[in-house]
Amino acid sequence: MKTKNLILTAILTALALAAFTIEAAIPPLTPIYGIKLGIANVFTLFALYALGTRQAAAVLFLRIVLGSIFTGQLVSFIYSLTGGVLSFVLMILLKRFFPIKQVWVLSALCAVMHNVGQFAAAVLMTGTVQILYYLPVLVIAGIIAGTFTGLCAQLVLMRLKKQTY
Amino acid sequence: MKNRVWIIVLSLSVLICAVCWLYISNLSPLSQIVGIYQNGTLVEKIDLNSVTGKREITLSGEYGKNTVLVSNGHIMMKSAECPDKLCVKHGELKNGGSPIVCLPNRIVIKFEDTSYSADAKTGALR
Repeated sequence: MKTKNLILTAILTALALAAFTIEAAIPPLTPIYGIKLGIANVFTLFALYALGTRQAAAVLFLRIVLGSIFTGQLVSFIYSLTGGVLSFVLMILLKRFFPIKQVWVLSALCAVMHNVGQFAAAVLMTGTVQILYYLPVLVIAGIIAGTFTGLCAQLVLMRLKKQTY
Repeated sequence: MKNRVWIIVLSLSVLICAVCWLYISNLSPLSQIVGIYQNGTLVEKIDLNSVTGKREITLSGEYGKNTVLVSNGHIMMKSAECPDKLCVKHGELKNGGSPIVCLPNRIVIKFEDTSYSADAKTGALR
């Protein structure tokens, strides 16, 4: 089963990367910086529940590294990584409390964490605390976007429940 | 916990954040220092929060005179003698908005300190 596992991880990484690249090509929905849906996270969540922690970590971090190479600059890589690491740590810690039927809650919490982490990175890098007023917007955006991506992953997981990986 | 509990918890936090946001965005920034430039050189620096009453500043250039109206917290181009009057149509100078520009007479009115404008910082890093 090891090969199957490896291939599934690779496919999920490729899908996450494709989703990330397509999303980056779409013009932002709002004029406010830092607000996007984060569809790529659906694949991380799916990998976490269907395959396991290590596979999910592989999907997430390979996607961030490759995605930054394909779409962005170094700065966006640093932001992605800070947000990604923080939200992933939270995801692993809280996973045991959330069965598949509540993946959307976990996703919303992690999305908030992701945004807060990126925000902290932005404050550190620009050295301005004045942009703190921006935080509530990011929390709202995180909850909404996280709920939607979480529901996506949850519906797929529930449909594939009987499948063994 | 049940789904319903989570829905309530998350919608409440959205609500709280929205209230915070509205509250914070209504606070006036600590200082509102505006610079008036002509031909790229600083003509006058004004802290909009320390202005009392109304004041008019007249600048003259190649295409006639421009009158800037300053009152507490507000600055705008009142009148201009240039042909297109884009600077007058711009209205008030807003925080986070674009500067008031009069191209014919080469006048720019903008905020000196943009550090509290999120776009100024993060926009460059996009």
